[in-house]
Amino acid sequence: MKITTIAFASALFLVGGAAAQDTAPNDAQIASIVVTANQVDIDAGKLAKSKAADKEVKAFAQQMITDHTGVNKSATALVKKLKVKPEDNPTSASLKSGGEENVSKLKGLKGAAFDSAYVDHEVEYHQTVIDALDKTLIPNAKNDELKALLVKVRPAFVAHLEHAKQIQTKLGKKGS
Amino acid sequence: MLFSGSGFAAATRATTHTVVIEGTQFTPGDLTVKRGDAVVWINKDPFPHTATASAAGFDSKNIAPGKSWKYRPRKAGVFPYSCTLHTTMKGTLHVE
Repeated sequence: MKITTIAFASALFLVGGAAAQDTAPNDAQIASIVVTANQVDIDAGKLAKSKAADKEVKAFAQQMITDHTGVNKSATALVKKLKVKPEDNPTSASLKSGGEENVSKLKGLKGAAFDSAYVDHEVEYHQTVIDALDKTLIPNAKNDELKALLVKVRPAFVAHLEHAKQIQTKLGKKGS
Repeated sequence: MLFSGSGFAAATRATTHTVVIEGTQFTPGDLTVKRGDAVVWINKDPFPHTATASAAGFDSKNIAPGKSWKYRPRKAGVFPYSCTLHTTMKGTLHVE
């Protein structure tokens, strides 16, 4: 399991779970996690769009930029309307640093190695975000509109995951 | 020639049907229309989608958030379609 995924999963565990008092994320923290999660994928997508060798990987990267920017636009508009200020928390911080780590690592790669590393990370990342939506973010969202937005965008992330897996398979066959 | 087409009858009774694209899904997923009716796909998601027939047929190309695309089917048949950007999204257009 990649470092990013472990860090994110354990940060969620801290925020959402076993510790004694009520540590489920509140709406302000959920908003911050969602905006950060989208931004991390936008940043990786920008790098891949310029650097990927395979055309389909480039197109996928562009789609990540487009879709996650769109979701963030909706999320930001909603929290503004609800007068909720996104609140940084251990989960959003670990997402951010994990994302920066991934980008750093990708910058040192090129060609097929870059493409594989980028896509492998996208598969893991989208799976992790979907799990977080299901286990922590959606169940704990108190505001109905925020919850509805999370539910509404979940299927797009599933589509991203499926697409990334298809590309991953294709890239896996390319070398052989 | 007079009897060849749907022209007259369809023109006087054409209906407009709406397919809503929201939550990365076509609703209704299954739609039956008559030749000459209009089908309007409206994108209520915050990112683009397409409505693209799996065989040759129709292709909306990118429908931006908040925008719609209108299509008037001329040929009867069953037309499975999907979003080329999110291939988990599938629908079927039945044209009578």
